Amino acid sequence: VTGPSRLVARLLPLPLRWRVAVAFAVASVLITGLLALVTWSMASDYMTDQRQQSAQRQFAANSRLVTSALRRHPGLDPHEALLQLEYDQDDTVALQAGGRWAVDGPLTDLPTLGAVAARRVADPADSTVPEVVGGQRVLVTALQVAPDARYLELAGLTDLGHTLAFLRTVLAGGVAAGVVVGLVLGRWAAGQALRPLTELNRAAERVAAGDLRARLSDQGDADLTALAHTFNRTTAALEQRVARDTRFAADVSHELRSPLTTMVNALAVLNRRTRELSPTGKHALRLLTDDMARFQQMVVDLLEISRNHAVDELELEPCDLAELVRHTVTARHEHAPLRVAQPPPTVLADRRRLDRVVANLLDNAERHAGGVVLVAVSRRDGRARLEVDDAGPGVPPELRGQIFERFTRAGLGGSRDRDTGSGLGLALVAQHIHGHDGTVWVEDRPGGGSRFVVELPLAPRPRP
Amino acid sequence: MGITALLVEDDARIREALSLALADEDIEVTPAVSGEQALELAREQPTDVVLLDLMLPGVDGLTVCRTLRDRGELPIIIITARSDTRDVIAGLEAGADDYVTKPLVAGELAARVRALLRRRAPQGEPPPEQLRVGELTMRPRHGVVTKGDQPLHLTRTEFRLLLEILGGRGRIVTREELLHRVWGYDYFGDTRLLDVHIRRLRRKVEDNPDRPDLIRTVRGVGYQSPPP
Repeated sequence: VTGPSRLVARLLPLPLRWRVAVAFAVASVLITGLLALVTWSMASDYMTDQRQQSAQRQFAANSRLVTSALRRHPGLDPHEALLQLEYDQDDTVALQAGGRWAVDGPLTDLPTLGAVAARRVADPADSTVPEVVGGQRVLVTALQVAPDARYLELAGLTDLGHTLAFLRTVLAGGVAAGVVVGLVLGRWAAGQALRPLTELNRAAERVAAGDLRARLSDQGDADLTALAHTFNRTTAALEQRVARDTRFAADVSHELRSPLTTMVNALAVLNRRTRELSPTGKHALRLLTDDMARFQQMVVDLLEISRNHAVDELELEPCDLAELVRHTVTARHEHAPLRVAQPPPTVLADRRRLDRVVANLLDNAERHAGGVVLVAVSRRDGRARLEVDDAGPGVPPELRGQIFERFTRAGLGGSRDRDTGSGLGLALVAQHIHGHDGTVWVEDRPGGGSRFVVELPLAPRPRP
Repeated sequence: MGITALLVEDDARIREALSLALADEDIEVTPAVSGEQALELAREQPTDVVLLDLMLPGVDGLTVCRTLRDRGELPIIIITARSDTRDVIAGLEAGADDYVTKPLVAGELAARVRALLRRRAPQGEPPPEQLRVGELTMRPRHGVVTKGDQPLHLTRTEFRLLLEILGGRGRIVTREELLHRVWGYDYFGDTRLLDVHIRRLRRKVEDNPDRPDLIRTVRGVGYQSPPP
C-alpha cells in the first residue's frame, strides 16, 4: 500500500471500492479541470482580443467616413452622417456636431454619452479596457472628428459575454461529467479488480457459517492463484481437522458402548437386590445408578452429535409438525399443554431427528427451567414454528447463543449437582435444526420464563 | 412361563451381565460366543428368540441373521453398536424382526422380546376368516397367504404387517398405528424398522415391488391397500 492511498484511507473511511472510485474522480477532475482552465483562458483571451480588434477596425473606418463627410459638407446633419456607417445592432454610435446629437444603438442617454465622449477625447489611451456605461459592458472609443464635432462608438460586449458564458457552462459541465465518469469508471474498475476478493469473501462467509466444503475456484491470475491456493489449503486442513475430531468423538463413544452395556445391566441386577444391601451400599448404588444414567445419555448424545452426516443422510419426508410434536409430548410429558394453530404446518423432516429435537427441548425445560408451560405449533411468515415455553428464570441475553454450544449449561455451576443431562441436548437441537435449514433461538416468554423457538421451512405442497 | 433366548455376543462381560439381568426379567439366556456356535445351538435346542450382535468374529452377524431367516421364522432381534441407518437397515434387510442399539438395558430388551413373541399369539378381536385383495388371499387363523395358487412364505412380522394393512380394507393405516400394533410399543420416531419391513413385504407380495399396487404409500401418513 502506497503513501497516498493510505492517506486516502485515513481521510476517507470508505470501503476500498469507493476509495478507488473517489481517486478516479479526483484524477478526472484534475485533468479535465486543467484542460478546461487552459481552454477557457485561451479562448476567452482570443475572443476578447478579436472583439477589440474588430471594434477598433470598425471605429477607424467609421471615424474616417464621418471625418470626410464633415469635411465635404460642413454643417451636415449628424443623422445624415450616421446613415453611411456600418455597425452591429449591439453597438452604439453617436455623433455630436455643432451642439446637435445623432445617436443610434441601445444606449441613447445623451448626458451620459456626452460625458463619456468628453472623457475619452481627453484621454484616448485605454480604449481596450471594457467599461460599464448605462448598465452595459462596452468598449468605448471617441474621436474629435472636427473642431466642433465628436464621434463616439460604444462597442457592445453582450454577445461576447453570452458566448463566453456558454463556453464556461460547457467547460464546467465537462468537468462535472468527468467527475461522474471518473466515479463510475473507478467503481467499475475496483469491482473488476476486487471480484476475486468478493468470491473469497463469499467462500470465507460460507466457512464461517460452518460449511467447510467451501473452496475457491482456480483464478486465472498469477497474483490470485496463490491466495486461492492458500485459502483452499487452509479450509481443507480445517475440514480434515474437524472430520478427525468428529470421528474421534464417534469412535470414543462407540467404544464406550460395550463397557457401558455391561455396567448398565450389572447395575440393573444390583438394583433388583437393594434389600440385600446395607444402607451405605444402597446409598452408593443410588449414586452409581444416577450417574450411570447420565453417563449413558452422554455417550448416546455424543455419538449422535458426532455422526458422520455424509454417511448418515437425513431421511426427509413430509411430516405434520403438530402430529409429530403431539406424539412426543404425549409419550413423554403428558401434562404439557399443546396449542396448535390450524391448519397445522407440514415440514420436510427426518422424523427421528425432529423427534429428538422436540424431546430435547422438553427435557431441557424439565431439567433446567421448572417444567414446560406450553408447547405451541404454528405458521409464521411462511415458516413452520414450534415454541416451547418454560417456567424457569429465563436465559440472560449474553448466554442465549452459548447455551446451544456443547457442554454449556444454562444454570451453570449451581444446578449441576442435580443435573442428569449430558450437556449436549441443546447442541443436538441446534445441529439437527440447522441440518433441516431451520433456525432455533431462545427469547423471553411474555410473563416470565424463556421461550425456545424453532422455525423450519414449510414442506412444498403435497401433490393432490 | 419362561422365555428362552439365544444371545450371540462375543464380549464375555456383556454376555454375563445381560444373562444375569435378563434372568431377572424371566428370560433364560443361552449364550453363544460366535456365529458358528449360534447356528449350531439354534438348530440343536429350542429357542423362542435370538438376540444377535451384528459385530462378530468369524461368521458375521448379518450372515447368521440371513441363515437363520432362511431356515425359518425364528424371531430375531439384532443388537447394533451404532444407530447408523446403514447398520440397522442391513440387519433388517437380512431378516431381523427388530433391533436395539447399545448400550441396551435388559428391561427394555425384555419388553421388546415380549412384544415380539406376543404377536405370535395375537390377542384382541379375532382376525377375519379370509381377506382377499386382488390375487392375494390371506387366511389369518391358519397363517397362510397365497398369491394365485402359490403359497407365500412370510415371517410372522411380515404376516402381521400385511394383515394390518389389508385389514384396513382400503382405509389409510398410519405409520404410528402399524408400529404400535405390529411391534407393540412406540418406536420413538424411527420409521426405518417399518420402511424395511414394508420393502421386504412388497418384494414378496407385489408383482412389481417398484410400483406397488397392494401396499401403496400415502406419503407422510402411512399405507393403504386397495379396497377388497
